[in-house]
Amino acid sequence: MSKRKIQEDHLLIGECISQVQEILRERFCHQQLPDRPEGLEAQHKHLLELLKRTAVHGESNSVLIVGPRGVGKTMLLKCVLRDLLEEKEAQKNLLQVHLNGLLQTDDRIALKEITRQLHLENVVGDKVFGSFAENLAFLLEALKKGDRSSSRPVLFVLEEFDLFAHHKNQTLLYNLLDVSQSAQAPVAVVGITCRLDVLELLEKRVKSRFSHRQIHLLSNPTFPQYLAQVRTQLSLPADFPDHQFAEDWNASVKTLVEDKSAVDVLQRHFNSSKDFRSMHMLLMLCLSRVSVAKPAVKPADLLEASRLCFSDAKANILHGLSVLELCLIIAMKHLNDVYEGEPFNLQMVHNEFKKFLQRKSNSMYNFEQPVIMKAFEHLQQLELIRPLDSSAARIQREYQLMRLMLDHSQIMEALQKYPQCPTDIKQWAMSAFS
Amino acid sequence: RMKYFTRLRVRRVYKWRGEPLTFNRKLKTSLAISVEGLPKTTVINTGQHILIEGEDEDNPYVAKVIRLYGDESGRQKKAVVQWFVRVSEVPVSKLKLLGREPHPQEIFYYQGRSCDDEVDAESILRPVKRLDGAAPFPDGDRDALYVKLSWDSKTFKVLDSELAPPSCPKPSLPPLAPVLPACSGSGVPRPRSARPAHPGLRHHAAGRDHQRFLSGLPFRHRLTVKRLEFLILPFVSFNRFLFGQVTPGTPRTPHGATPSIPSRTLPARQPANVLEEARTRLHVSSVPESLPCREQEFQDIYSFVESKIVDGTGGCMYISGVPGTGKTATVHEVMRCLQHAADVDEIPPFHFIEINGMKMTDPHQAYVQILQKLTGQKATADHAAALLEKRFSNAAPRKETTVLLVDELDLLWTRKQNVMYNLFDWPTRRHARLVVLTIANTMDLPERIMINRVASRLGLTRMSFQPYSFKQLQQIIMSRLNKVKAFEQDALQLVSRKVAALSGDARRCLDICRRATEICEHSAADPSASGLVGMSHVMEALDEMFSSAYITAIKCASVQEQLFLRAVIAEFRRLGLEEATFQQVFVQHQALCRVEGLQPVSVSEGLAVCQRLGACRLLLLEPSRLGVLQRVRLNVSQDDVLFALKAD
Repeated sequence: MSKRKIQEDHLLIGECISQVQEILRERFCHQQLPDRPEGLEAQHKHLLELLKRTAVHGESNSVLIVGPRGVGKTMLLKCVLRDLLEEKEAQKNLLQVHLNGLLQTDDRIALKEITRQLHLENVVGDKVFGSFAENLAFLLEALKKGDRSSSRPVLFVLEEFDLFAHHKNQTLLYNLLDVSQSAQAPVAVVGITCRLDVLELLEKRVKSRFSHRQIHLLSNPTFPQYLAQVRTQLSLPADFPDHQFAEDWNASVKTLVEDKSAVDVLQRHFNSSKDFRSMHMLLMLCLSRVSVAKPAVKPADLLEASRLCFSDAKANILHGLSVLELCLIIAMKHLNDVYEGEPFNLQMVHNEFKKFLQRKSNSMYNFEQPVIMKAFEHLQQLELIRPLDSSAARIQREYQLMRLMLDHSQIMEALQKYPQCPTDIKQWAMSAFS
Repeated sequence: RMKYFTRLRVRRVYKWRGEPLTFNRKLKTSLAISVEGLPKTTVINTGQHILIEGEDEDNPYVAKVIRLYGDESGRQKKAVVQWFVRVSEVPVSKLKLLGREPHPQEIFYYQGRSCDDEVDAESILRPVKRLDGAAPFPDGDRDALYVKLSWDSKTFKVLDSELAPPSCPKPSLPPLAPVLPACSGSGVPRPRSARPAHPGLRHHAAGRDHQRFLSGLPFRHRLTVKRLEFLILPFVSFNRFLFGQVTPGTPRTPHGATPSIPSRTLPARQPANVLEEARTRLHVSSVPESLPCREQEFQDIYSFVESKIVDGTGGCMYISGVPGTGKTATVHEVMRCLQHAADVDEIPPFHFIEINGMKMTDPHQAYVQILQKLTGQKATADHAAALLEKRFSNAAPRKETTVLLVDELDLLWTRKQNVMYNLFDWPTRRHARLVVLTIANTMDLPERIMINRVASRLGLTRMSFQPYSFKQLQQIIMSRLNKVKAFEQDALQLVSRKVAALSGDARRCLDICRRATEICEHSAADPSASGLVGMSHVMEALDEMFSSAYITAIKCASVQEQLFLRAVIAEFRRLGLEEATFQQVFVQHQALCRVEGLQPVSVSEGLAVCQRLGACRLLLLEPSRLGVLQRVRLNVSQDDVLFALKAD
């Protein structure tokens, strides 16, 4: 009855659900910036003022944003830039160059990218002309000609800053930081990295030119704060078109974060990692189970999502193995037990397997040597075992030394869940020392 | 190096001709040049204009023969000449004094001092036709040269009539006869008296003449005029332009691209209060009025370079010191002072150029950059090396001393060390007049990385910049602030003592002070604050910049991450080693989970925890493809980890 009423007064339920999916997915996939970065107000203020001074006063600066993965470094910078560009003075003046250490893997590429993003005069269309040396000379000349009060300030954002430190001679970093410390065009160099030891990577001359400003993002939320975060992340905004639905949804979110089993699941996640990205991953899995028939996130969804998140990847692979391959794995496990983790070869594994077969006097698993060989190779392709070193390519395959890439717990777990696992194999695996 | 000479070398034979002058048997009247294999003989007489072999094959030096003489034995043939300089020999920076585009065939009567006017007669190539006076530049004759102005290495002047000889004698070679454009009335040389009396007006007059000349041409000549206009552009860029058109596939810098950052639409705001003022003054980039605490070094470098410039000789100097001790700043200051001295004519003029090993992509680019800064030419590294080699080994008219600053010298190291070798070898050449100042960080660089013949040429003129002491740092800040009262005395002392103890790097000192002013500004709301930067602000800034974040990072880590770190330490203690595989640590981790009453984690999750710790370098890990077999090490001391974990 109530459902029908909603349909009459407001949007259709299906419409609402797709709206919810859209809003929350944007949020979880980092498409939409929060109004203000949670728990990072001080850092936000520091960075905003720093960049404002570059944009408005033409003061050159350099700064590093350091924090573990998923803590919100890029989000912080994006928020700051959004707020900065609201000011007309900054918006009209600031030029931006965004680089990423994973994309610009050497200085040659990075220079072309900088030139392209700055639209210097040696860019025609989308193509940058000139050799590496010419590009560097051109860019340096351009920056040198500028001065504090008359040229437009340039913001250089270097994501994965630590990777730039591995470029030859650190030429790019030296030059950018040198410009930031001399009377040339005003620049702000913002590096983003997750490495705490990033300063040690810099060459002494480069290091001396860096201003040593570091903004550390090391948030330490307590579990209640984490729960509150989950709740705000799942809640719908006040401007949701259908108020009734939004209220119902938010109420269901509130009951969810108070539910005992849900709290347990979240606690486990909190213990594992506090960062936003893993939280978003979990909530995304929950969200995908919301449908017209079930227009709310239930604790069961959270449980299921958590099970997916925590499931062991290698153990999952083991479920897909044939019985023979599983037997070989068990034989390897026993070898590992006996020889305390020393490497083994196919022949040893085969012998171990044969011993098991003799004991059982069961011809069911009696395979030819080539079949065993094939199974062994398959295991190697799955990277469940790996050769000790690749240099020993000349050794006959049967005798190449291998190591098992699995932990015992993974093997046992896989055996429990293996569909229709023969009992004798299970027992063989359980027996401590064969 | 010979491989760069693409042209076949011509062998010339030089012989005296005519009777020697009666009053001095050494003086000769004319010289005959014949090219081997060709019957024709060229005769050079005194008073004639000649081309002299130089560094650039396409643009040989131009001079006028004053005297020809040989020594007693008759083996050595010498010539005393009056030099002329080509457009390409005038420093690029000075060309704008001309006030117009120079004609490519234009030469200037050289009036500068410090000029070796005696040349080996065997370097004479051939006579050349010279036109002068107020005639506008005619078109079409590629061999004639035009003299309108004189150049004394500072200014261009209108040629005095007594200096300028009457039109040159008839050239002895028929192909040199000029073909003047017959269509233009203004192309005919005007009488000398028609020249404007006021030298200042002359530039304009010449410019107008040129304009009129262009516009006065009938249409069929417009095409050639167009070519002329192209020729007026610097040759190098012209060639570039042509090549760019011919081969569109090769990426080249488009013709005429000027490197520049667009200018602001809104003006930069000026500092509004004392703290902002202080911050601007403390920025490393602001050029201070003077360089305190480097007086001795300044004096030494100054007198070294000055003596070389005055004597017209060359030399090398090696300057070392840790980063941020004012090496480059001091050299720049010296150069500013010397430039000033040259401007007021206390010392001969000189040419200062600088290169930086870090600002080039390859050591051999040094040649390209030096050549470009000296002459404005663009060339490949090999070609530039050959041109420079010639320039520094031959006698030439231009010869003002070149002072070359090579910053970050160690980056110019190559396996054969030929770049360094050349840089240090050129100053030893007789005609080079090159002073090389090199800067690097380590004191023993010559001994460590240079082979003997390079180190020997660098010589023993060394200077080392000591790190600043705390008193000097304090003085530096004080002089920068220059009576802007923004800091408490104690605060300044703290900063300088701290930095002096750490590195003595003036940049660090200034950066800390700048950050302290920001912190002070934030806490300005506090009514008890005096508005000055105090101890607490400086302490906070120091803390931000120098404290390690490892301990905070461990404190902020998640429960499982902290457990993993404890498991690592437990495993290290069990093994008695500082290294363990993930598998071993994981066993400890599971045990710790049980002790703490937590649900045991799966291997995948454990690996994820381990990777997160590895990403921020609390742990050092092997590549992750090794899975459970990867080895784990701590990047922090065990005590730090335990301290951080205990504090909870």
